[in-house]
Amino acid sequence: MIEPLTYVVVGLATLLFVGSVYYAVKDRLIDDRLLALAALVEVGLLVLLALGLANLGQITDSTEKATFAAYLVSLPLIPISTALLTIKEKTRWAMGSFAVGAFAVAVMALRLQQIWNAYA
Amino acid sequence: MPDPTRRALGGPGVVLVVVYGVLALAATGRSLLQILSGFDRAPLAYALSALAAAVYLLATWCLARGGKWVRVGTWACTVELVGVLAVGAASFLVPDAFPDKTVWSHFGQGYGFVPLVLPVLGLLWFRKVEREAAAAEQAEASPPDAGQPGSGRTPDAPTA
Repeated sequence: MIEPLTYVVVGLATLLFVGSVYYAVKDRLIDDRLLALAALVEVGLLVLLALGLANLGQITDSTEKATFAAYLVSLPLIPISTALLTIKEKTRWAMGSFAVGAFAVAVMALRLQQIWNAYA
Repeated sequence: MPDPTRRALGGPGVVLVVVYGVLALAATGRSLLQILSGFDRAPLAYALSALAAAVYLLATWCLARGGKWVRVGTWACTVELVGVLAVGAASFLVPDAFPDKTVWSHFGQGYGFVPLVLPVLGLLWFRKVEREAAAAEQAEASPPDAGQPGSGRTPDAPTA
């Protein structure tokens, strides 16, 4: 369950990244469509957090387990904080910051999957 | 109260805040893990990780707040730059002192060299904010039509 969900989250975050870059290039501000996509990413990350914590016991190495937990907890903070910043900022840089956040989510979720793959 | 003339968040600053925020999150996570899982294993590397995390958190705060924090942020970025250069060089020259990695090891290679580039961008951004604020203050102190000999600024070409 964790693996397919991670890939869905990575896919959505990548889509969000591409969309944000497109908006930045076109000099458009954030709208409901992108915000809804970010909300989907956020829901995915929260479900991942719950599933990951429930299955944390499967990771035997203590360092890896701690990294996994730290990523799980950190990830949902990113879409929320970048969305708040992006809504307040009224220049095209806002979409740039949203793109950076989406990229970070995609990379961190992939890293999460790498750790999980080694044990599941 | 935030100083409106030293607003560091607008424009490119908002991107810097996000990048700094993510790095601060990653550095804090790593540092907490390292210290909780056994500080004795690599005390120097772990202490440096904690220092790096604290400085990144501080820089993120300064970028977001602006105002009087611009000066603090300049110092934070300077410490980061010195840190990444010193620790980066040391991790190559005396690898034995760093049995475990820090954010600054090998010039931030583990983080895509972002820790090396970020303080430079931060310093440039803070300098721009500071300069614009200084220019605005000067303009306010002496209105342009009052005539300011020796101010070093060329006024718009007179049409007369």
